Amino acid sequence: MPGTTSTPDIEIIVEDIGGGGGGLPPSFGGGDDGDGGDDGDRRRDWSASPKRYSTAIAIGLVSILMFFMALASAFIVLRRSSGVWITVHLPFVVWPNTCVLLASSFTLEAARRRLFLADLRGFRKFWLFTTVLGFLFVAGQLIAWRQLVAQGIYIASNQASSFFYIFTGAHAVHLLGGVFALLYVLAHKFRETGVSRSMAAEIASYYWHFMDGLWVFLLALLYLGK
Amino acid sequence: MANDDSGANHEDSPQGGFLSRCVFSTDHKTIGLNHLWLALFSVFLGMAMSLLMRIHLMWPGVHLPLLSSLGDSPDRFAALTTLHGSLMVFLVLTAAPQAGFGNYFLPLQIGAREMAFPKLNLLAFWATVASLIGLTTTFLIPAHPAITLWIVSVAVFCAASLANALNFSVTTIDLRGQGMTLPRLPLTVWAWFINAILGMLIFSILLAACVCLLSDRLMSTHFFPVLSFVANQPAGAIANAVPVLWQRLFWFFAQADVYVAMLPCLGLVTHLISVFSRKPVWKERLVVLALCGVGVFGFCVWGEHMFSSGMNPFSPLVFSLLASSLGLPATILVLSWFGILWNARVQLNTAMLFALGFISLFLSGGLSGIFLAGHDLATAAAVSDDFVTGHFHLVMGVAATFSILGALFFWFPKMFGRRLNESLGKIHFWLTFTGVYCVFMPMHWLGLMAHTNLYSGSRRAAIAAIVGPVHTFITVAILLTVFAQGLFLVNFLWSLVRGERVLECNPWRATTLEWSVSSPPPADDFGATDPVVYRGAYEFGVPDVAEDFVPQHLAPEQIVKARESGE
Repeated sequence: MPGTTSTPDIEIIVEDIGGGGGGLPPSFGGGDDGDGGDDGDRRRDWSASPKRYSTAIAIGLVSILMFFMALASAFIVLRRSSGVWITVHLPFVVWPNTCVLLASSFTLEAARRRLFLADLRGFRKFWLFTTVLGFLFVAGQLIAWRQLVAQGIYIASNQASSFFYIFTGAHAVHLLGGVFALLYVLAHKFRETGVSRSMAAEIASYYWHFMDGLWVFLLALLYLGK
Repeated sequence: MANDDSGANHEDSPQGGFLSRCVFSTDHKTIGLNHLWLALFSVFLGMAMSLLMRIHLMWPGVHLPLLSSLGDSPDRFAALTTLHGSLMVFLVLTAAPQAGFGNYFLPLQIGAREMAFPKLNLLAFWATVASLIGLTTTFLIPAHPAITLWIVSVAVFCAASLANALNFSVTTIDLRGQGMTLPRLPLTVWAWFINAILGMLIFSILLAACVCLLSDRLMSTHFFPVLSFVANQPAGAIANAVPVLWQRLFWFFAQADVYVAMLPCLGLVTHLISVFSRKPVWKERLVVLALCGVGVFGFCVWGEHMFSSGMNPFSPLVFSLLASSLGLPATILVLSWFGILWNARVQLNTAMLFALGFISLFLSGGLSGIFLAGHDLATAAAVSDDFVTGHFHLVMGVAATFSILGALFFWFPKMFGRRLNESLGKIHFWLTFTGVYCVFMPMHWLGLMAHTNLYSGSRRAAIAAIVGPVHTFITVAILLTVFAQGLFLVNFLWSLVRGERVLECNPWRATTLEWSVSSPPPADDFGATDPVVYRGAYEFGVPDVAEDFVPQHLAPEQIVKARESGE
């Protein structure tokens, strides 16, 4: 991976007393990738390691997981304690929709493999396909909502329906964030230094697969909990 | 070291314009300072509110300016209490030690020149400001929209805290300077780091709870059913545990938030004690483990608040054990503090006094906490909670404030290039220290006295007779303590402008990296060369060196050279 930090070779650096900045290659000027900080040239020769993005996504995912776990535990507690639980049958469209999302994970990996083989055209094709599948999934969720509304089941109808709307809504918002990340990786001009496209693609893929797995978990919860 | 103008100077910087240099600057020092200003504003607002509440409790008939309706309406009083609590807990105790001092000093202490995501940092600060404005507005508008606004503000604060926590943890993991291995991290950084991880977990839970609550209020869902909903259900269908869900989610957050407020304070206090005792931290690795332990146990004790609300009969036992097991890391910390202080030549300046005051408050608050971890009293305390009020104000509110003040006296020279006045500081310390004990210790008694219905007849009457005077005593003590804070405000503002100038980089002869740069630090933190770290953060009392300490950035050759030239 490009631009890994100097953490492993700390002991060697300790020997290298003379040059303070000697251990780090001069890297990008910051400010080209969203959060680099662009306060003029005062940090020209210093910039944070690009590895921070993958660390951030790992920690951020734990936090997102906690958010959904809190909702899931609320679901389980209410399901058990409520005497008025009215079963909501999942709209049929969620099943093909789930297949769409699962397929998107495979196309994403296919795209990354093309990128690894330096086949940029193939990468763009599969990456775009993944993005389209992502949009399709969100559209499918909207159709699921419409199907429920057609049956007269609204968010406030009963607790089970509230949970269906909240789970799907919160997941869709997070997934849309992922779709924008995909578009960013597709459209952004990556420079020689700093974060490479393959690294950005890798980070986006973590998020995407996580959203994929999260949806399967939520669906299982809704299905088994009805 | 280049002594150019710093982004830290909050007041009129000559070039660059106020907006770009202070308001929209992504510099971690500026953002940290802004968080501290926000906390300073909130703490005085919150204190004024506690004063109002106390005056109203004592003299309900008194006409208060702007708040004339307070006397007639319980709603207004509840709003006042809520606002006092939210301001103090969220914007002072949660934000100041972590977002304030953390933003300013975490990168400086680990040898980074910036936080990992500076723009996210700026966004988080402005979200915090928005949440402060929202929280304060709730007091001025009618109750129904006010509650919705309060929830939205808390949700915004959660989002800001999540962004901050992400920034802190990534910065600590990935941006450490050369040679700054994990064992060499100062304990302040450890505390900020563990706290950030804990914050990542609990603030998303509170955010989820807020989302459910908002959807209940705005879209009439029934996650946390209100009475009207319950009344409409068929008989027998009402689960006895309906509001319990909210309590669970809330306490999951709130109990852990106590530790979110305390963790950075524990780190700060250990740091201060080591510096001013001129001794290394006793059992430093064990202290790091203890800080981790506080984080882990703190995350697990949420159920301790559920004793009185119908949980599985076995779970109180489990949570009671967990709550008591928090005693273990706390004991390790206390032992370490005494281990440092043992036989030390303590420098009793104001910062150290506040650190010692923290230990005292932590011990006495912790002792009353042991009573509360016992199941019976906690159940009883749910009825009348003077004991609980006394307990958590002493250990969470005041103790944390003491460590914040200690840190301020310690880092003021670095942040502003001037010292706070020591004499005024000491008078302020002693007044506050005596004051808070006079306020919160009698509150413990009141709580205990409320549970004396075991007694009968004359004894009960005798107890009832002293309750009134005790209340008056508390009110007078609060008035005096609050006015003593005026002394601090004067000291702070006066020292900003006229305080004794600090010309050297390292007035306290401390070891960590922030003392290797000029005061206030240059805009790019470390000037031309990146700092290199050669040793741990607490090398005090080292023999054979000119002074009794070795800074982290000093190369072994330089020490040898200094030794030769000294001899």
